[in-house]
Amino acid sequence: MHINYWKELKKNSFGKIGLAMLILVLIIAGLFPLLTRYDPGEPSHSALNPPSSEHWLGTNDVGQDIWSRLIYGARNSLLVALGVGLFTTLISTVAGASAALAGGLYERIMMRMVDALIAIPAFIVIILVAAYVLPNVWTLIFLISILTWQGGARIVRAQTLSLKERMHVYAARTFGANKRYISTRHIIPELGPILVAIFIHSATRGVFMEAGLAFLGIADISTVSWGLMMHYALKFYYLEVWKWWLLPTGLALSVTIMAFVFIGHAFETAMDPRLRVMEGEDWQC
Amino acid sequence: MKNKHNHKHISSVTIVSILVVSLLLGSSIASSGSETAKAGEVIYTIADSTGDWGYPSPHGHYPRGPGYVRMSFIFDTLVWKDTQGFVPALATDWEYIEDENAYLFHLRKDVTWHDGEKFTAEDVAFTFDYVKEHPSWWVDLKSVKQVEVLDEYTVKIYLKELYAPFLNDDASTLAILPKHIWQDVKNPSEFVNEEALIGTGPFKLVDYSKTHGTYLYVANEDYYLGKPEIDRLKFVKVSEEMASTALMRGEVNATAIPPETVVEVNGKGFTVINQSGDWNAKLMINHEKEPMSSKEFRHALAYAINRDELVEIAQRGHAIRGSPGLLSPNSPYYNPNIVKYDYNPQRAKDILESQGYQLKEDGYYWKDEEILELELITAPRMGFERVAEIIARQLGEAGIKVSVRSLEWKTLDSRVISQQFDLAISGHGGIGGDPSILNKVILGKFGYSANYTKSESLNQLLEAHLHEMDAEKRKEIVREIQKIYAEELPALTLYYPTWYWGHDGSVDIYYTMGGIARGIPIPLNTLAFMEYKAKVKAPAPTATEAPIPGFEPAISLFVLISVAYLIKRRRKH
Repeated sequence: MHINYWKELKKNSFGKIGLAMLILVLIIAGLFPLLTRYDPGEPSHSALNPPSSEHWLGTNDVGQDIWSRLIYGARNSLLVALGVGLFTTLISTVAGASAALAGGLYERIMMRMVDALIAIPAFIVIILVAAYVLPNVWTLIFLISILTWQGGARIVRAQTLSLKERMHVYAARTFGANKRYISTRHIIPELGPILVAIFIHSATRGVFMEAGLAFLGIADISTVSWGLMMHYALKFYYLEVWKWWLLPTGLALSVTIMAFVFIGHAFETAMDPRLRVMEGEDWQC
Repeated sequence: MKNKHNHKHISSVTIVSILVVSLLLGSSIASSGSETAKAGEVIYTIADSTGDWGYPSPHGHYPRGPGYVRMSFIFDTLVWKDTQGFVPALATDWEYIEDENAYLFHLRKDVTWHDGEKFTAEDVAFTFDYVKEHPSWWVDLKSVKQVEVLDEYTVKIYLKELYAPFLNDDASTLAILPKHIWQDVKNPSEFVNEEALIGTGPFKLVDYSKTHGTYLYVANEDYYLGKPEIDRLKFVKVSEEMASTALMRGEVNATAIPPETVVEVNGKGFTVINQSGDWNAKLMINHEKEPMSSKEFRHALAYAINRDELVEIAQRGHAIRGSPGLLSPNSPYYNPNIVKYDYNPQRAKDILESQGYQLKEDGYYWKDEEILELELITAPRMGFERVAEIIARQLGEAGIKVSVRSLEWKTLDSRVISQQFDLAISGHGGIGGDPSILNKVILGKFGYSANYTKSESLNQLLEAHLHEMDAEKRKEIVREIQKIYAEELPALTLYYPTWYWGHDGSVDIYYTMGGIARGIPIPLNTLAFMEYKAKVKAPAPTATEAPIPGFEPAISLFVLISVAYLIKRRRKH
């Protein structure tokens, strides 16, 4: 209740590393025009060049500058992270909170639906759907979100159920507060930290899934995406190019995903006192 | 509960890292195998990236070039081809009897089947009758009326009507079967035991593994041209990416190699041969659908696509620019005097404007409040995605909005066949062989054929050239076909990729004129394996080889994971 999450995050070394990595990725993505003079889509240079002062990471198979594609690709990953994060959190909150607050038949139907959705492998469904619709970045965000919100909805519902029974909510109810007042004034604000955790978790999954799908070739091939870059790079790995094409891309992707994972981890530790290591005693025993 | 969650997060770091590592490592683990040769025995090993091409019996192999090639080591045809053209095989000579519309074949008298039985004209007659009844993917013999055995070593084959491609498409493609074995076989594709592999060819199969994709042949001691100097011929599965390395390490003697490694392979003393013009990548246009149903619109598309850029960028120069007439400049039937559609985006725009399209501020053409937008489908194969990407950009610059979709190969084929597409990128081979391929790829209903029957004059010419027995006149007709095809433009040939094979020179492998059999552009002609030269340059495996690609990235990622793990450990204690 009375935890300063930001402070907790900063105290946690995982959190610090994660934040630093995320800020680095953000800066690189944001300062894109300053960091390169090449258009990532412009194939006007000779192909498969090794790194030089002209092209820091050389050029790919169609003569595009790999460095500019690498930093431009960060935007795609961050966009997916943000999109999937927001959208999934929204669906989870609406579904989970409404189920907990409304109760009854609606809650049952909703939660059984969640159960059913959990059984569906999102990855495979997206591959199937991609055969019919153009898998551009927005479609992917939408698809990943509507196929992966179930876990979040469960957590939100559980938390809402617990909040509903808290003393101050009872008190508000005795003073005649209606459901709407209670949910907007008490429940939703207090769900905050949980929602942030869900957001981070979904963002991670979003980045990961987008890269995985693009790596398999399920992507709009005109987008600049790390997954797609690896998809193409792997076709030429028998040449020297993997060192400046495949490796940096893989690292960039790992760094981004790890940034999210670390932050998420630090955040959970901050939220859940049981996870905090008490000095001088083995608290958990 | 929370604790569990916590672990999940940490383990996802590991999973991510493992995934990346396996991704980098996975494909570098290529299979290769080279046994040590027995004393004095000559083993020749050929790498193949697919491996399994089916049981190498005439009806058991997969209906693709490499499948046929594996069969051709065991079975002979009446006529065969080398670098110059037709050469005798089971038939010593042949003639066309014009009055009777028949071919007369004189057969070799010194041929025995692998099981010791004598080969006679009866076997040839039987094969023709049998294959007429059970057509294979390669030969259907629809043009053959009947076969007559004149004596033990002479057969006469009567044709139903004049049929020019007979020698190439039938006589040099049809594998002759032993009558004494096949006469009782009702279902040839299910006949896959050892008896199905009794032929007259220079090699006998001793081992085939479907799972490993390997084939092992031994020389046929009684071969009528003498015992091949290669004692054992082997096909092993090696991934496309590892092929050059396997060759340079001396693990294989010959392999197809990626264009990027040609210089290196050549520099190490290996022979590199190349071939282009037998295969073409083409832009399929749905001519049944608006607005592509308009010929002029299709012309506009052709003018807006810069085929030179496709060659230079998507193929990195390892290709020849496509001719709108389909056949390549390397073909003896090529017609250079056709509409060329040289890159001219302005001309494309003019055509679009004459069709009632208007260029709007967004840079695209509009008509009746509707934007001109087309979907281009392709598959992740042979660099097609890159081609699609570039074409989409080029058409965009000409004011045609194009969205690209990459589909699975078979889905692409079925969408093209059922005409559920606007534009598609596909391709096919066989265009270096007999021009009868034109009938298949213009009129046929395949994922790679234009499926275009609207032009009466084109239909007539396509029918006519099949029945024109005069070579020169036939050439004229085929040239005319290319001209009309280019004007009608039901599909646009984009480029002819160049293919490279590297080998150690111990066997002079070569590309067959017009391709093996019906036009298979693979340089593994059986005749080449009759002769073995002592290795000119023995490629000694060097110890200073660079480490296997994928190894270094794996190490760096391993370090990364270890660091993450250590941090986790520190947090725990």
